[in-house]
Amino acid sequence: MIIRGGIVYDPANGIFGEEMDLCIDGGRIVEDAKGEVIDARGLLVMPGGVDAHTHIAGKKMNTGRIMRPDDARLGTELRSGVCRPSTGYTVPNCYAIGYRYARMGYTTAFEAATPIIEARHTHEELEEIPILDKGALTLFGNNWEVMECVHDKDIAKLAAYVAWGLRAARGYGIKIVNPGGGEAWGFGSNVKGLYDPVPNFDVTPAEIIHALAEANEMLRLPHSIHLHFNNLGKPGNYTTALETLEALEDIKPSRMRQAVHVTHMQFSAYGGTSWRDFESKASIIADYLNKHNHATMDMGQLLFGAATTMTADAPLEYGNARLTHNKWSNHDIELEESSGVVPMVYSRKMLVNAVQWAIGLELALLTEDPWKVLMTTDSPNGSPFVNYPEVITLLMSKPKRDSEMATLHGELSKRTSLGCIERELDWSEIAIMTRAAPARILGLEDKGHLGLGADGDVSIYNLSPHEVDASQEHATVKKALAAAKYTIKSGTVVCKDGKILATPRGKTYWVDAVAAQADMDRLMVDLQDKFERYYSVQMSNYAVQDVYVTNPRVVKAGLGAGPLKEAA
Amino acid sequence: MRNIIVAPLAPIRISVEAEILSPDIFAPLSMEQICGLDVWQGNRKRKISDLFRVVGDEGQVRPEETALRLEGDFSRVKRIAEGMTAGTVDVIGSAGMHAGNNMKGGKLSILGNADDWLGREMRGGSIAVEGNAGNYAGAGYRGEKCGMRGGEIEIRGNAGAYLGEHLCGGDIRVAGNAGDFPGAANQGGTIFIGGSTHLPGAEMTKGTIIVNGKAKVLPGYQKLEIVTIGGEKYQKYAGDLVENGKGELFIRTGSS
Repeated sequence: MIIRGGIVYDPANGIFGEEMDLCIDGGRIVEDAKGEVIDARGLLVMPGGVDAHTHIAGKKMNTGRIMRPDDARLGTELRSGVCRPSTGYTVPNCYAIGYRYARMGYTTAFEAATPIIEARHTHEELEEIPILDKGALTLFGNNWEVMECVHDKDIAKLAAYVAWGLRAARGYGIKIVNPGGGEAWGFGSNVKGLYDPVPNFDVTPAEIIHALAEANEMLRLPHSIHLHFNNLGKPGNYTTALETLEALEDIKPSRMRQAVHVTHMQFSAYGGTSWRDFESKASIIADYLNKHNHATMDMGQLLFGAATTMTADAPLEYGNARLTHNKWSNHDIELEESSGVVPMVYSRKMLVNAVQWAIGLELALLTEDPWKVLMTTDSPNGSPFVNYPEVITLLMSKPKRDSEMATLHGELSKRTSLGCIERELDWSEIAIMTRAAPARILGLEDKGHLGLGADGDVSIYNLSPHEVDASQEHATVKKALAAAKYTIKSGTVVCKDGKILATPRGKTYWVDAVAAQADMDRLMVDLQDKFERYYSVQMSNYAVQDVYVTNPRVVKAGLGAGPLKEAA
Repeated sequence: MRNIIVAPLAPIRISVEAEILSPDIFAPLSMEQICGLDVWQGNRKRKISDLFRVVGDEGQVRPEETALRLEGDFSRVKRIAEGMTAGTVDVIGSAGMHAGNNMKGGKLSILGNADDWLGREMRGGSIAVEGNAGNYAGAGYRGEKCGMRGGEIEIRGNAGAYLGEHLCGGDIRVAGNAGDFPGAANQGGTIFIGGSTHLPGAEMTKGTIIVNGKAKVLPGYQKLEIVTIGGEKYQKYAGDLVENGKGELFIRTGSS
């Protein structure tokens, strides 16, 4: 396949809006190819989109679907052509997830939170999501074995457990959600800060996070730890965010990447002492990131309208349920986690929601280096992923932000600095925040760029980047981004003019890390005891079998894995 | 007024989804265009003229100048007058499920019976049924937090269970009896029941329910004073205290 004459943005390879041809053969970018010619003259061409943090599969997604038949009605699309029926808006069915990402030019999406014991369910759903390449991060932050290793300061055994857990879950990396808080929630409480001990385990969240970061680097995992802070969603929590980031400054990354990825930072950049004097502290967080290089983040942008909050942070969800009087779900997941789901509507009339909306944008605009901040909505927590074009146009257009702000609470300008920010992102920066950076942050070598040998994932939009002024013509830009002219996945046109033409099966990434055998042996003694005494399943039935991951892409890591090819 | 008459060509045995039977859809179209509209029957797409005889005045008008008359048995035709904003729809017979759902204005009258989900989630306008209504009249559909928010539903016969579930506003009047749990989770609407019912106002937080016949009252209700409404004496209750509710329930004295 040859893509002719597109205006290509491939920041990872230093290409910023140059007219060039692209060739794809055997599913990869190559020097020269024959066959189908795609006319992209003058159009915006980028690598396929990569979403490094989204909720698309697993038990809490399904809980959301079950408790929200009202949501299912919002996104009904009949079966047509190669597409199976779609339902849902904030919690769509598996098919809809694949089609809707592909329509926007996205080809890769990573599920952000799976407890090991529920990983089989996650993979069953990932298998049913068409088109996309996927992976799932594995939860470790409230795990009994983890906390015991941390208590014993036994990082080697912890690394062995992480390696074992990733293999058992067919998981991609370490996700940490409100470390210690989920366990405390089992006893009806929460941890209130980084140094608040977890009941019964005599460890603090700070120790859990630091130890998991050390284990992550000991195993040389492709991704860093992926962290959802303590005290998330609470006024005044920016101090927890800064404290946590400072506590990780001494972590030395084992690869060319960050030492910690902070997810949905918007929910952790809050000032004030209550919802009444709630205000943005985004500028302080952005300032910290501008001065330090060990951390990256994603926005977790909030948009007005319907959302479904779903997280392993169960005490937070309990709070949400009390606040909204809405229906809710809460789970205790054996020795590993807790979780919750609560439907939400973010309202323009609510000052708090307006401030939250502004904080996400401030974070992205005040952080100077686009490689440090990813565009996400923490779908469907801040807004479902189908609204990414809205977020991108807000980032690219000051007039659009101003006209939105004019419709919001008058007090907003006193609580945030968004109105004073002149910056408008350009296509290079957008390509970084939605393609190149998420791939580099996840450690996906073949994604997010268009260099030779990269995956043949390309999105082409019906837009001339040199002619359209994204600042003024934001409506045109949004329309173009919502329905890609072409989405090409591994060299196959999967979407043309927003219509799905093919639904090839995507790959599932997981990390097979090797730990020292002696540590693994010591770990097994612990685990055998845990399975005998506490778990509801046998150890032999616990791990995800290969039959559940039919198209795997195994990334090797750990001891003896040899030097790893760095991401572009 | 532009009058349009729709009548089944033959008795309808397999359900038809006919959300297009609404003044808003018909008003701007010519008769030829109307006859070409699609409906789903079971899993098959059909032309409206395959199933119905459609006759009426030509001329493109506004919805408020449109009168739709549905003659015959429409009890297997669903979603009549869905989302209508103006004009009138008269069903000379019975109507199927979801009649008048999401209605915002205008008038829907049904000479026979209405099936389940009559006027669910309606916002405005009025519905009158001469016969009985099925379950969930004026309710919210599965998972929905708000049912009817405005407008009026009048049922001259009996109503089924869950009348006005999740009601957020508007008025519902039933001349006959209502089934179990009328006004469940009522958040601000008014329900009048001429006959008897069972367990009204479960989880009601706001709004009013008046029952003229017999009714078993839930234990979450606090018995208050006797009041007089329209010359009749009623026992007043407040609740549902399970939800710390501020709803009002009136049962005519001597009947419960």
